[in-house]
Amino acid sequence: MITLKNLYKKFDDQYVLNDLNMTLEKGKCNVVIGQSGSGKTVLMKSIVGLLEIDSGEILYDERNFTRMGKKERQLLRKEMGMLFQGGALFDSLTVEENVMFPLNMFTSDNYSSKLKRVDFCLERVGLRGVNQLMTAELSGGMRKRAAIARAIALSPRYLFCDEPNSGLDPRTAIRIDNLISEITREYDITTLVNSHDMNSVLEIGDKVIYIYQGCQCWEGTKEEVLHTDNEALNNFVFATRMAQQIKDI
Amino acid sequence: MLKALSNIGRYLVMLRAVFSKPEKFSIYYRQTIREMEDHGLGSIGIVAIVSFFVGAAITIQTDFNIENPLLPRYIIGVTVRDSLLLEFSSTMVGLVIAGKSGSSIASQIGMMRVTEQIDALEVMGINAAAYLMQPKLIALVIFLPILCALSVALGLLGGYLVCLVGDVVPVSDYIYGIQYVFYPYYLAYAMLKSAVYAFIITTVAGYYGYHVSGGALEVGRSSTQAFVLNCILILMANLVITNLILH
Repeated sequence: MITLKNLYKKFDDQYVLNDLNMTLEKGKCNVVIGQSGSGKTVLMKSIVGLLEIDSGEILYDERNFTRMGKKERQLLRKEMGMLFQGGALFDSLTVEENVMFPLNMFTSDNYSSKLKRVDFCLERVGLRGVNQLMTAELSGGMRKRAAIARAIALSPRYLFCDEPNSGLDPRTAIRIDNLISEITREYDITTLVNSHDMNSVLEIGDKVIYIYQGCQCWEGTKEEVLHTDNEALNNFVFATRMAQQIKDI
Repeated sequence: MLKALSNIGRYLVMLRAVFSKPEKFSIYYRQTIREMEDHGLGSIGIVAIVSFFVGAAITIQTDFNIENPLLPRYIIGVTVRDSLLLEFSSTMVGLVIAGKSGSSIASQIGMMRVTEQIDALEVMGINAAAYLMQPKLIALVIFLPILCALSVALGLLGGYLVCLVGDVVPVSDYIYGIQYVFYPYYLAYAMLKSAVYAFIITTVAGYYGYHVSGGALEVGRSSTQAFVLNCILILMANLVITNLILH
């Protein structure tokens, strides 16, 4: 479980996160939605420590991340896996080397057991037999799946996915969403997904949090998101004419 | 002025991270060997070509400028050797490597920054600055002095072939000249300068790549800025070291 208390983050004089409070539950896909520029990516980067918050607390199962020293943070980060928007695979390495990278860095296992783990992770994401391909040879969906395989290589307790299905066709997007959802349940991890894709929200959003102008504006389940009175959320969810027509029906 | 101070501060903070203890020595060792291959062995060709022709040209120019019949002909060999040792080889190789490896380091790290690969390293709990720059730094600090020594040898060879083919100086005089009153200290001085240049090239290029933000345009711009600043700093360091050691 990850708890955020009174989070503030500003760039110049503009508050991007403004007294943000939320709890990300274990074993669930916690989906944060919001318009572009609403602060979703800043929130995620603040939670993993890529950005320093101005004030507030971030608790990883009661461990206060904001008060940790550099070494403690590095230890905690070994429990995190992150899927970036573009995958962020190391383009000088093969798929196998990418997935093996965290294992090489943080385990003293021999090569064959590391390879076994790599094969397991690649098979889990449906990428069997692509070990020797360079990342440039992969399609967008394959790249995302390889990035998920790398993220789960060290069996993380926390998984962060920033716009996991951006730039993907609907079918591949749903496949990636389902994979994230399955992994979350299988390993009982705390997953945070940033998205502005409503298909994705309705597919995997065990808990949906809507942020608006840096504040948590609404919280509920994927079933509740379509039947809310919250005006800002309704404007976001039913922004397109088609969505509006479906709502009217 | 404030921006310059801020850049120096950020550069020093980055250096502190670069000199941190590696997470795993074996990985850094393998990476260092790979960087030696890329930036060291991979630069031998260009260094050889430039040094050979510069050595040949210096020989012809020295012969052209020394017309005094009272001066012995072997003085041309002495001048070529000392010019290469004291100035040309170290500085010229430094500038060539600043263009070749420096730009490559800045753009490689810059692309990793804009495609979030550096963020991915940091989220894994890896000191990205150390992982990306320490192997490059070690590789270049070891290899640039070797390239400098190679450059001196090939420059002298260029001069020798000009004497052999071009009837500039009698070959025997040239050979005698390049061996005449040789101070091994000059070679140590040239190699020391190269090691300092290697430090400048790697850290300045790394700094520009590491702190880039934006897209491909900014990566290209940072690579150019890194090269320009590297050239200036190399020439300034040349002056300072020469003043400290030879003055």
